[in-house]
Amino acid sequence: MFLDSDLLMSVLRALTPILLAALGGALCERAGVFNIGLEGLMLMGCFTAVTTSWFTGSPWLGVLAAAASSAAYSLILAVGAVTLRGDAVVLGVAMNLLAAGLTSFLLRTVFGVQGTFDDPSLAGLPLVGGFSPLTYLAWAAVVVTAVLLSRHVWGLRLRGVGEAPDAAATLGVSPARHKYAAVLLSGVLCGLAGAQLALGNVTLFSENMTAGRGWIAVVAVMLGRAMPLGVLLAALLFGIAEAVGFRLQGLGLPQQATDAAPYVVTLGALFLTTARRRGRTPRTTGSTRSTRSTDPSGVAT
Amino acid sequence: MHRRHRRTLQLTALAAGTVLLATACNAAAKKDATTTSAGSSGKSFTLVTPDSVGENEFLKLAVTGIKDAAKQHDGTSKVYESTDTASQQQNVQAAVDAKPDVIVLVGFEFADIVAQQAEKNPKQQFLMVDACTTKTYKNVSCAVFREHEGVYLAGAEAGLLSRSGKVGAVDVLDTPQFRRYSDPFAAGAKKVAAKTETSTRFVGGQSPFDDSARAKEQANTLLSKGYDQVMAAAAAGNYGVFEAAKAKGAFAYGVDVNQCPSAPGTVVDNVIKRTDVAVEKGVESVLGGTTGTTVSYGLKEGGISLTGLEAGVDSSKCVIAQHKDVLTKVRALRDQIVSGELTVDDPAAK
Repeated sequence: MFLDSDLLMSVLRALTPILLAALGGALCERAGVFNIGLEGLMLMGCFTAVTTSWFTGSPWLGVLAAAASSAAYSLILAVGAVTLRGDAVVLGVAMNLLAAGLTSFLLRTVFGVQGTFDDPSLAGLPLVGGFSPLTYLAWAAVVVTAVLLSRHVWGLRLRGVGEAPDAAATLGVSPARHKYAAVLLSGVLCGLAGAQLALGNVTLFSENMTAGRGWIAVVAVMLGRAMPLGVLLAALLFGIAEAVGFRLQGLGLPQQATDAAPYVVTLGALFLTTARRRGRTPRTTGSTRSTRSTDPSGVAT
Repeated sequence: MHRRHRRTLQLTALAAGTVLLATACNAAAKKDATTTSAGSSGKSFTLVTPDSVGENEFLKLAVTGIKDAAKQHDGTSKVYESTDTASQQQNVQAAVDAKPDVIVLVGFEFADIVAQQAEKNPKQQFLMVDACTTKTYKNVSCAVFREHEGVYLAGAEAGLLSRSGKVGAVDVLDTPQFRRYSDPFAAGAKKVAAKTETSTRFVGGQSPFDDSARAKEQANTLLSKGYDQVMAAAAAGNYGVFEAAKAKGAFAYGVDVNQCPSAPGTVVDNVIKRTDVAVEKGVESVLGGTTGTTVSYGLKEGGISLTGLEAGVDSSKCVIAQHKDVLTKVRALRDQIVSGELTVDDPAAK
């Protein structure tokens, strides 16, 4: 009774914003920048998407503006962590806090409302085959980032920069340039995630509407070991856990229990993956890292 | 080199922090004291709101209430609008300093602040609306609502209007207080159509009050099972519930204020809280010398109602305006509740 098409649709809808943001997070992770500002980047995307769609009447311009504004917002992390060598975690937390405050403030000044802006004439994204076009884009992005990271020169250099910046620099690959690119790309992807949430999943803006999705994306990056396919699987796991949790409420399971479902699944997955990893590589992570960084073959080409 | 950069960063962070603090103070200081001076009786009332009034219907009604009270007692009224926790505290302090006859505060946000101030200023009268202090004070009166009575009537409408015989609710959290918005909905529907199937989904998650996408999915799980009438008690999530219902051609019910304009043709009716009635009557009884008590407002006192039962239903954009026959039956039920012939179970009292 669980595996009906409604459940599948529900999973895919819940998945899209998380997946887009998590892919952005994965790119940063690979470039050696730990981006936990995904939540804030997404929220900025949500607000810009709704504002632009409202004033121009075009949801597509909303999507573009969301990508641009989140990319601009991600510069805080890029400049702070790469140029000024600040702590990426502190910067990420600050970005999340600032985004929550800034969007609430702008909601009041631009729309004169508090809490939620919603209007029947606000244009959302059209549905193609039951999903917003950004859903398909998210899946395409998985393939593109996977190919980029594993098969493309630029992707190899990006990984090199992340794993051994000094080695990369000696070989003439600029770590700063690659890190900037990764952070900006993650901004674009988070902007798209925000647009999907605010103009696809629902058509409105409400304060703090990302509601922890950015954090789930951060966990998906870790769980998927920053590999696009792994990230996809992790995000899918969350989507399924949540959607199935909703159904279980219908069967009388208390809300408190179904709320815990995604976290129980995370813990379970974490145990399983680490157990497997340990079995495979008996060496400590420290030694793997040192062998990697002295091996220039992964960086050059 | 490295160290210098770190220094710059620290400075930047400090500067950013200072700017944030400065703006916060600025916002806190923003206090709108609209004075409606009229009378000479010397009675003065101050309303402190937890948020800026703006387009907030719920708070707008409270403002109407305080103005009406001033008019009735030939006195003056002031409204202090807060924007955040800091400004709430400052506004209450400012209100206390001005020593009006009654200070009216709307919302649970004020519970702790009022408790402190009531103890310090035993001669100042406070009226809390839609919440109360945990301890009772001689100079704090409370006005609370019996939301479940209105929700019951909305449920009756749903029972009468449902074609599939299935009505559901999307609630914020599974707590007794919030169950007031879902359990009576089911009870009301079963009262008018005994065979009605009912189900409640709770939004839950990390921020149940803001997550409209999650509320929409919860509504979808109901709609996909054939539920065609959905009570929306999910705060900001209500808009998500309305969107889901609209997409499936189903119907929804709003809370607190008239939410029909946000989805005309989808929202049937709303369970409204008449804060104006609670403020006006509350002030009345405080001036009459009844203080330190909690009075609850329901259908009988006119503190809880449905948009459909109020004047102006025809211009409300609510679906119920086209179902006069349903309204007649609901009115009969309301009269039974008002007369005490029918009692609605209160989930929060269990």
